[in-house]
Amino acid sequence: MRKLGMVIDLSRCIGCRSCAVVCKIHNSLPPGTWWQRVETVGAKEHMIPTGEYPDLSEVFLPIPCQHCENAPCVKVCPVGATWQREDGLVLVDYERCIGCRYCMTACPYGIRQFNWQSSDDSFKEGFKNAGFEENWFKDKEYRYGYPLDHRTKDGRLVFTLKRPRGIVEKCTFCVQYVDQGLLPACVRGCPGNARTFGDLNDPNSEISKIIRGRDVFKLLSDLGTEPKVFYIPPSRKEGKGGISYGKKL
Amino acid sequence: MEKNYNNIVKGLAVVAVLGLVAYIYQLYSGLIVTNMRNPFSWGLYVATWAFYVGTAAGGLVVSSAIYLFNARQLKPIARVAALTAFLFAMGAMIILLPDIGRPDRLYNMIIHPNFKSMLPWDFIVLSSYAVVSAIYTYTLMYPDIAAKGVKLPFYGVVGRKELTEEGLARLREESDKKAKRLAPIALPLAILIHTVTAWVLATQFARSWWYGGVLAPTFISAALATGPAIVILASLVVFGYKDKMEGTYTLLAKVSAVSAIIMLFMYYNDFMIRFWWHNGRDFDALKLVFTKYIFLHAVEVIFILLSAYIFIKYPKDPKKLVQGSLSVIVGVFAHRFLLLPPAYNIIPLRVPVIMHNETVEWSYPIAVGQIRGNLNNPEKVFVAYWSYVPSIVEIAVTAGVMAFLVLAFLKLVQILPVKEVEQ
Ligand code: SF4
Ligand code: SF4
Repeated sequence: MRKLGMVIDLSRCIGCRSCAVVCKIHNSLPPGTWWQRVETVGAKEHMIPTGEYPDLSEVFLPIPCQHCENAPCVKVCPVGATWQREDGLVLVDYERCIGCRYCMTACPYGIRQFNWQSSDDSFKEGFKNAGFEENWFKDKEYRYGYPLDHRTKDGRLVFTLKRPRGIVEKCTFCVQYVDQGLLPACVRGCPGNARTFGDLNDPNSEISKIIRGRDVFKLLSDLGTEPKVFYIPPSRKEGKGGISYGKKL
Repeated sequence: MEKNYNNIVKGLAVVAVLGLVAYIYQLYSGLIVTNMRNPFSWGLYVATWAFYVGTAAGGLVVSSAIYLFNARQLKPIARVAALTAFLFAMGAMIILLPDIGRPDRLYNMIIHPNFKSMLPWDFIVLSSYAVVSAIYTYTLMYPDIAAKGVKLPFYGVVGRKELTEEGLARLREESDKKAKRLAPIALPLAILIHTVTAWVLATQFARSWWYGGVLAPTFISAALATGPAIVILASLVVFGYKDKMEGTYTLLAKVSAVSAIIMLFMYYNDFMIRFWWHNGRDFDALKLVFTKYIFLHAVEVIFILLSAYIFIKYPKDPKKLVQGSLSVIVGVFAHRFLLLPPAYNIIPLRVPVIMHNETVEWSYPIAVGQIRGNLNNPEKVFVAYWSYVPSIVEIAVTAGVMAFLVLAFLKLVQILPVKEVEQ
């Protein structure tokens, strides 16, 4: 059986947030909702270095859902709307979720996002607050993103353009693409090629090769959630952007 | 007096209707009308739920104590107590409805329960508690219902049976026997509803403010502090203060006072342990209580202590009894509300960062879930702190449920034979 996972090389991440934007577009995220976050560790605002001159550092930490093997969100869901598929993806059934938000309390990574209002209302409000008086879409029904509903083999709705109100959603590793043998949008959209996605159980997969023999870490590993997202710690960059210009500089 | 009572009923009815309107408005617009957002996903409704579970306990603990511990002083108020238990157990379930994003799908709790989650268990114990307390109330009242019947509005008298003197006496004996048999079921259930409710929160490793073994015992002691207070208030409403019932009230007041002190002891015992290490999430949650939420914390401690003082000092003064009961209710409600902010505002995902040779825990911000502000003054999309204050809608709905419960109580004590016939 496959166990899908991701490895993110923090040395390669340039903090551009392309993954977050690409994710937002492909997955048709409502305004204010983000499945993918990239922040500068230790900084109040993104892209501001921490520390004191000249000892500054700037490490970017992208966070998708960790698709925990021992996922607290799966454990707490009273109706089994959040479950783990055999290939390791942790998914939310949009037709079963009762919106109790217990999973948001349980998830230690702040991943889960609730639909506080209907899709129409949130887009309308989003446009208005961004300075557009009217709904900016000419066709009010239009939503950006993957246009089709996606169901798992057993028929559970795990992706739909217009999210129902009052349910929880989160990063699915782009289940609608993965099921067609494609890579998640963030992996394809990363300009630094910081992300690798694949089968952790297959010793010959790219991800297994990268992880093997490397110092990788997982977030909050002391909680025992067993994330399937691995991080390669950032290496110290010498000179400019990790390129050595020789002793002079 | 009569006029006063009518005005109170009218006032309560208005609050209840406003609550219903607020709930319909929330159903129509979505939970956006609350002040909860992604980083702070449970609010006043959940705090009130925990509070009601606590107040529900008192009833059956009191009634079952009569048979289990032979606390005969409590006998006269057994029916009132059991009735409050039923009402607050219902209240606890009702107040969760507005917190649910999709109440139309609640049936999934029954057809797809996940028993690893504590919530279905809580649902089971709470509804069993409501059922048992209803049966208990009925059992205690049955002989009088049979003797006099129940006068339903618009319907007339039902349930009356032709009884001889001996028949009635036999029914009374039977009711007593049945209640005796129900008591050993009722008491463990009363303990269970708090324990399981506490477990819903205490099992969450991500939330250091709740996580651990101390929450369930604290819940039980808080329940044993507010439960008797509710029963005192309810009995004062029904019976007034009679010298004959002095012993009853004194006992209830003492139970409440002792439990309140035990509760504070457990609370501060936990604080001490968090404080001593002086670092980490546990400590930071505590720090939040003593900085940003110091006012709320002062309210809980002062009012709970005050009630204990009043109950111990003046257990025989009806006015003081009311003051004591109200003050423990205010204190414990503040205590319940304080369950939330330190749990959510200590973001579980923190990354240690070394600055000036000192480790600082940096919290990873969470997307709010709504675009706030406007083009010229955009507000933050990702936040690591959410100062939650319930919205008007949340307050209206919560107050509405509370008013409804009191109304239901006032109506039921009119209809049902809650007073024991003098023998
Ligand atoms: S990161 Fe959160 S949402 Fe994702 S699987 Fe783990 S607990 Fe669930
Ligand atoms: S909000 Fe939905 S997915 Fe989350 S625990 Fe409740 S029912 Fe499950």
